Amino acid sequence: MTLTAEHGHEEAAGGEPPHGHHQSPAQRHRKEHLALWLFIGGDIVFFALTIFTWFYTRALNTNGMWRGASCTTANPCTDGLGNPLTHEVPTANPWYGVVVAVLIVVAAVLAWSAERSSVQRAGRSSITGASGMALVAVLAAVVVQCIEFGALPFTTVVGTYASTYEFFMGSTLAHALVLSFLALGFLVRSRAGRYDDGQWYQLRLYRIFAVWIAVSVCVLTFVSSVFT
Amino acid sequence: MSSEATVETAQGDGAGGTGEAGAADIPKPFFSRPGGKIFIIWLILTAIGIVLAFVLPKHTFPTMLTKEGSTGVTTVIFFTIMAAPVAALVYGIAAYSLLAWRHRGHPDEPPEDGPPLRGNAPVTIVWLVVTSLLCIVLLVWGLAAMAADNQSPPGALRVDVTGQQWLWTFSYPGTGVSSRSLVLPLNRPVRFDVTSEDVTHGFWSMSLGVQVDANPDVVTTIYATPNKLGTFTVQCSQLCGLYHAFMYAPGSVVTPHQFALWLFGHGATLRAASLDAKVKMATGQGGSG
Amino acid sequence: MTTEAAPRLLEDTPLPPKAGGLYRRQNMWVGLVAGIVLAFIGWLISHALLQGSNWGTDMVVTVTMTCWVIGFNAGVGTFNGPFRWLTNDDQTAEDELYAAGVGQGAKRYFKFCTDHKVVGTQYLVLVMVLFAVGGTLAMMIRTQLITPHSSFMTPQLYNTVVTVHGICMIVATIIMVTGPFTNFIMPIMIGAKDMAFPRLNAASFWVVFSAVPCLLAVFFLGGVNAGWTTYAPLSVQDPPAMDTFALTILVFAASVTLAGVNIIVTIVTMRAEGMTMFRLPIFTWGSMLGSALGLYAMPAFIMAMVLMITDRATGTSFYVAAQGGTGWLWENIFWIMGHPEVYVILIPPVAAMLEVVVTFSRKPLFGYVIVIAALVAIDALSILVWAHHMFTTGWAPDLSGPFMLTTELISIPTGLIFLCVIGTLWKGRIWARLPMFFVYLFLWNFIIGGVTGIYLSDVPADGLFHNDMFVTAHFHYTLMGGAMIAATAALCYWFPKMTGKMLNERIGKIAFWIIAISFQVTYLGMFWEGFEGMPRRVAYYDPTFLHANQMATVGAYALIIGWLVLLYDVIHSWRNGTPAPANPWGAKTLEWKVPTPVPLENFLVEPVVTSDPYTYGEPEKEAPEPAAKPAHEPELIPGGGGT
Repeated sequence: MTLTAEHGHEEAAGGEPPHGHHQSPAQRHRKEHLALWLFIGGDIVFFALTIFTWFYTRALNTNGMWRGASCTTANPCTDGLGNPLTHEVPTANPWYGVVVAVLIVVAAVLAWSAERSSVQRAGRSSITGASGMALVAVLAAVVVQCIEFGALPFTTVVGTYASTYEFFMGSTLAHALVLSFLALGFLVRSRAGRYDDGQWYQLRLYRIFAVWIAVSVCVLTFVSSVFT
Repeated sequence: MSSEATVETAQGDGAGGTGEAGAADIPKPFFSRPGGKIFIIWLILTAIGIVLAFVLPKHTFPTMLTKEGSTGVTTVIFFTIMAAPVAALVYGIAAYSLLAWRHRGHPDEPPEDGPPLRGNAPVTIVWLVVTSLLCIVLLVWGLAAMAADNQSPPGALRVDVTGQQWLWTFSYPGTGVSSRSLVLPLNRPVRFDVTSEDVTHGFWSMSLGVQVDANPDVVTTIYATPNKLGTFTVQCSQLCGLYHAFMYAPGSVVTPHQFALWLFGHGATLRAASLDAKVKMATGQGGSG
Repeated sequence: MTTEAAPRLLEDTPLPPKAGGLYRRQNMWVGLVAGIVLAFIGWLISHALLQGSNWGTDMVVTVTMTCWVIGFNAGVGTFNGPFRWLTNDDQTAEDELYAAGVGQGAKRYFKFCTDHKVVGTQYLVLVMVLFAVGGTLAMMIRTQLITPHSSFMTPQLYNTVVTVHGICMIVATIIMVTGPFTNFIMPIMIGAKDMAFPRLNAASFWVVFSAVPCLLAVFFLGGVNAGWTTYAPLSVQDPPAMDTFALTILVFAASVTLAGVNIIVTIVTMRAEGMTMFRLPIFTWGSMLGSALGLYAMPAFIMAMVLMITDRATGTSFYVAAQGGTGWLWENIFWIMGHPEVYVILIPPVAAMLEVVVTFSRKPLFGYVIVIAALVAIDALSILVWAHHMFTTGWAPDLSGPFMLTTELISIPTGLIFLCVIGTLWKGRIWARLPMFFVYLFLWNFIIGGVTGIYLSDVPADGLFHNDMFVTAHFHYTLMGGAMIAATAALCYWFPKMTGKMLNERIGKIAFWIIAISFQVTYLGMFWEGFEGMPRRVAYYDPTFLHANQMATVGAYALIIGWLVLLYDVIHSWRNGTPAPANPWGAKTLEWKVPTPVPLENFLVEPVVTSDPYTYGEPEKEAPEPAAKPAHEPELIPGGGGT
């Protein structure tokens, strides 16, 4: 693959500028930057509703089944499969969530580092290195999240705390998978030298998105650990 | 940057004569101007609207049997009266535009341009103020009606309403009576405590002016005071599955005496000792218990 | 700089034989096959793994339909762009020209084509198909209701028909203006060559296309008994059809989100030189503000449905009270989406209709800035009113007052828009062509629809009417009588530009009068049903409601005939109509300045805008003229070059 600038296909087709590429990299960045913030705006709405779900069902505590505080061996409740529930649902181990959040924060920091290296034209290896480590961090977060699913002391059928907690985990996992797709792409593209010559635009977008995911995951971890 | 300069300075909804250049010195009589003619159309349409406001509810609504139901109908009438002049204005100007300003030349060619009226600050402000005032009036009316409807006087008759797929059960706490029809005594405030056994249903009777959802494992409450004798139907208003259309129950508002008879006829067991207490529990009146 | 004799049209560029890469082998049919194959594989695997487990059927249905969506989109080419990015194999200029449909003739309408005009046309056809399906279902409903105890449909089928009719119409009305007209017309209107993200544009179309079989599968998987609002916990216990319904919503919401982002970015960043935000035609503002509201509402729809799927397929208890959940959670999240969503439906058609009013009154838009301010206010307020759909649920009686306040406040900016319409008509030169007919019908209908909405915003009156046929009549007046009629005005207006043919007005006017009158018969009959106390969504009713129902059904049959006459007119004119000139209406917005049919890149010479398009009656300032400026910026291309 020839090394071309981000927008440069000018040599092709007899000098006729390409369809859709009439804009400079700065103009393209402006479009992509706005698009990213609009997506993040939608994700913020989703995130706000996730938090609302936690606090609303917790406050309502319908039938006492947020965590089943009144379920005892003497007076058992029933879980969603009809089995008796003889004790309050235990809380999940918060450290998994903390580790996942830390890993995503690390990934965001590495994304920022990659962007900075590109802006400062610090050389391909520093950009690629940061991108690669970001990918590792995000994949590690995915792995830890999957391990946590297996290590939970409850299943989805025992009340709303369990349901919402697992929903938080699923949301984090989904966002982390999106981040890992992007991280892989940036690793591949930076190795090919796309960001060597000061074309930091897409790395900035990645950094912004990774920071947003990191913030939202930290908040979710905090809420699910403290407000049990 | 395009200008928002107003080319004419009209007031209210009658317009000055910008198009009539030659006669600018002597203002034309009001009813010869567009504003005047529209005013006449507006008057007629408003009158029609007000008549409809009284006639339509009267001939279509079921008979309202409670204070709350009557409030609802009065609200519909009042809101229609408030809306009639607004609707009439829009319809009037739209109709007039087709009568007076319609291009009558060749239909295939665009007409000449009209006057460049980009805006009119006084008209806009008046419109904004009037619509805001209307809005405030409607709001105050609504809040007052809500406050009146939500009163929970002591001594209210309590009825527990339970919905399930696909029938209603009404029980009267303290009497041991449970029934598939809803019988209420005249002139006694009622408090309905509503719940569901399975999915969300809607406890609704238009004649009683009550509607509140029946949700599983929670109790919702609504009040009404029947003030007229008659029959009504309780219908499920929230789609609840296959036989939602069959989920209705008969009801009636009867005299306190008939209510007491009905209670006893349904096996009412009253825990209070004295006859007075029994009468009071059945009718809410009299007795010293 | 050398100049050629005439600028070569981009669509005539000869492409090398491999241009386009994988796109050469991808089209709608490949997508269909790929989708079916992947769905079958998904079904096989999930069925084998999950057979006999709790909620296995729900999981299997969800997995199967998800595989269909992924497979179809892979086959049609939606994922090519992201994967080529991932592998650092970005598309070349020739690839992009191929993707824009160069050299493919009519086949490009059945492919992933990035030309916004093609996407707009694809959306137009899809919308018409959706209305045909939804309209057929409506006729089934009205047929059932012609007598109080009809045996035309079983209760199960009736409830399912009601549900699918509802969602079909909601989907159709959300995209009916934003899909065809914002895509086709808006970029030209702002002086751009295409949307900001042409591939995303094509993706948003094919994604919503792939959702349609998911919706139709509802009929084959047991039906949905819960109405399009699918209230929980009823919908949690519905047959597996509810899983495919939920997936339809997820896919649809994704499409709307992609399209909404594209629209907003295009308008903000791709305007021609001189086209400031306050010189934009009002349709552009309406498209942008409607899409912005959609970006707020769609995540809520996604959230509600994801929780629904987990409740059904994995045993969570968000909506099931026995395990700590509540139907109120569903209702809140749903209506947080559901109320802004009706303005997502309404704002683009109203803004399009304003362009029609301007052109056919030959006057500037009265109160241009007022309209924008009113639309912004509607956007903002509509986020704060959702619980007026829940006045009777008992969830928070203390909040009824505040929600009544915010709901009644929305009538103020809506009223201002009416002021601007009649101000534009005032002393105009009213040109009574077919688009304008629909504008007047809108005015009549939306007053009735809007005023009856105010009744519903009053809590005591809502207690009488909630879930009664009054509500059904109200929203049909606003959504069909208002939004859809305004969209029809837009269709009649832009038909010459989009199809190159003039719409036959004689047939169109016959259709108009049938629609206009039968609409009143149908829905005034429905208001009558509502005043009498008939609940909605019932297959059987008390005989006291008989006459009102007969009136509504007779009206409905006439109404569908009216729409069919209009459909016939559209198809007939599209195929055999009089060729249309570039600007048959003498309008001043930029789309009328380009030739019909519109060239691939819209403008042969990039326009420079010097005023807004509402300069009727202002002799000095002409409408935006294309300046003698080359369409491509030589200085942005290293080494110069270009024509």
